[in-house]
Amino acid sequence: MLMEFSLLGWWRVVLSAVAGLAALFLLAPLGLLIALSFDSSQWLQFPPPGWTLQWYAQVFADPNWLASLLTSLELGAVVTLASVLLGLLAGFAIARGSFPGRETLRGFFLTPMIMPSIVLGIALYAVFLRLHLAGTFLGFVLAHLVLALPFSIVAITGALEATDKSLEDAAMLCGAGLWEARVRVILPAIRHGIFSAAIFSFLTSWDEVVVAIFMASPGLQTLPVRMLGEVRQNLSPDIAVVSSLLVLGTLLLMGLAAIFNKDAKR
Amino acid sequence: MSAYLELRNLRKEFGDFVAIDNISLRIEKGEFITFLGPSGSGKSTTLYAIAGFVEPNAGDVLLNGRSLVGVAPNHRDIGMVFQRYTLFPHLSVAENIAFPLRVRRRPKAEIEAKVAQMLELVHLTPMRARKPAQLSGGQQQRVALARALAYDPQILLMDEPLSALDKKLREDIQGEIKRIHAETGVTIIYVTHDQEEALRLSDRIVLFNHGGIEQVGTGEDLYDRPRSSFAAGFIGNSNLIEIRLDAGAAHLPDGTSLRHFNHPDQGAKRLMVRPEDMHLAAEGIAGQVTERIYLGDVIAYTVRTGWGQDLSIRAQRRAAQHQAYIGETVKIDFNREQAYIIPE
Repeated sequence: MLMEFSLLGWWRVVLSAVAGLAALFLLAPLGLLIALSFDSSQWLQFPPPGWTLQWYAQVFADPNWLASLLTSLELGAVVTLASVLLGLLAGFAIARGSFPGRETLRGFFLTPMIMPSIVLGIALYAVFLRLHLAGTFLGFVLAHLVLALPFSIVAITGALEATDKSLEDAAMLCGAGLWEARVRVILPAIRHGIFSAAIFSFLTSWDEVVVAIFMASPGLQTLPVRMLGEVRQNLSPDIAVVSSLLVLGTLLLMGLAAIFNKDAKR
Repeated sequence: MSAYLELRNLRKEFGDFVAIDNISLRIEKGEFITFLGPSGSGKSTTLYAIAGFVEPNAGDVLLNGRSLVGVAPNHRDIGMVFQRYTLFPHLSVAENIAFPLRVRRRPKAEIEAKVAQMLELVHLTPMRARKPAQLSGGQQQRVALARALAYDPQILLMDEPLSALDKKLREDIQGEIKRIHAETGVTIIYVTHDQEEALRLSDRIVLFNHGGIEQVGTGEDLYDRPRSSFAAGFIGNSNLIEIRLDAGAAHLPDGTSLRHFNHPDQGAKRLMVRPEDMHLAAEGIAGQVTERIYLGDVIAYTVRTGWGQDLSIRAQRRAAQHQAYIGETVKIDFNREQAYIIPE
């Protein structure tokens, strides 16, 4: 049966109310946290007795917060780059290759998505201890790469499969070598897939905390790891500020993605 | 003398499936050749072997006497227009045409001149700044044609380039392709499953069936002198009648004898008569009209014979001495010169 919203009569009011409540339930905690970051009381009092930017100033003056922010950004950038490059190679193999076990390989690449991250964290930690990678930046990159790569492979393989192979053939007959054809013709054609791969890879690393706890060392902490530590020690407005900044950063990235996707469709 | 392009005993298997076998063909420079055949007959596999995307299991492809086997597609200097739209979506029309020249690192001035010339050739100069997505299907294929010709390839391959277009547009672009062939003199190999398209375009038709070549010849050769029942049935419509030749007469399955058959062969044969070569007459093959379709210029009859075969007749409306209607018993005849014994 076709449900026509305008024909539902007074049910419309009920449905709108339920939808509104659900949205409120999901968004209110975030709103509260953002409000608290401007709260003049240092005990996270609500409603706030007054408004201030002093906690933001405090966070930006704290070398520990800045260090973890930088760590998170660096890690995210390196993971994104590696994830997109490997995703491209794996994507070409899966979407264009013809070899036995191709579908198995495709499934295998996706296992980190369904593996419980706590198990992955412990397993990686155990291996990295032996390889002297635990607590190093390289170890961190590799661990997050395991988590980010499936997203990258899914996005890029999907884009490649949606792009006709004849495009590659046409470029080759025009005189381009196989990889020249792929770089000059296929990469631009799947740029929205590459962009999605990059965004998802970055976000995977950016807000990942379970595996990161195992990889972190006192001198190498990502933003979420430091936040978790701070929350456990003392609940300060700093947490609200950093959380708000994380939300803002994520929103900006999603906005960018939306603009890019709109452009790709045109 | 060696041919411009020569295929020698080409064979290609995909697993258990033999896609083409023992394909041998000689093509002269400047010819317009069509590979015609039903789907799965091996025509596209042969084309892709020439392009270099299919590596043959056996046999050779020679261009100007030089073997192309083992030469990568990008070093074969062959142009191709594909069935699907293959313009590069991020490049404009002009940039698409310039692409093969840029890859070859030709000087800028030369590229610009060539792009302008190609746009002129396909009558798309006003569209030069458009993106492929802003063009119609027909325009996209014309740009693809310009791109494939921009680097003056030795051969132009076309793999059912018009199959996605509607009939009217297809005929327009067929005309355009013929004109471009005449203007550039390029050697074209064109794959199609549409016999009308093959007849309209080509100097010679190569008819494929079951991975082999059934017959090679001009449209007239294939229409008037098919070498097999398959060829007779695939090009145009035909009536195939089992006969026995004996002492200047043809004996039909129902016992009717048609006189004045002075064919050198004797015995059981298969006779082909085109529907337009048959007419209603006072004497001849007896049958009952089961279908009558008025088509304006001609009237198409289906007549069921005494031995249960349906024969097709296309009678000129004006020339029809006899008009017949459904259910009527009629006699059919044909001129003996237009009767053809299939030599298989």
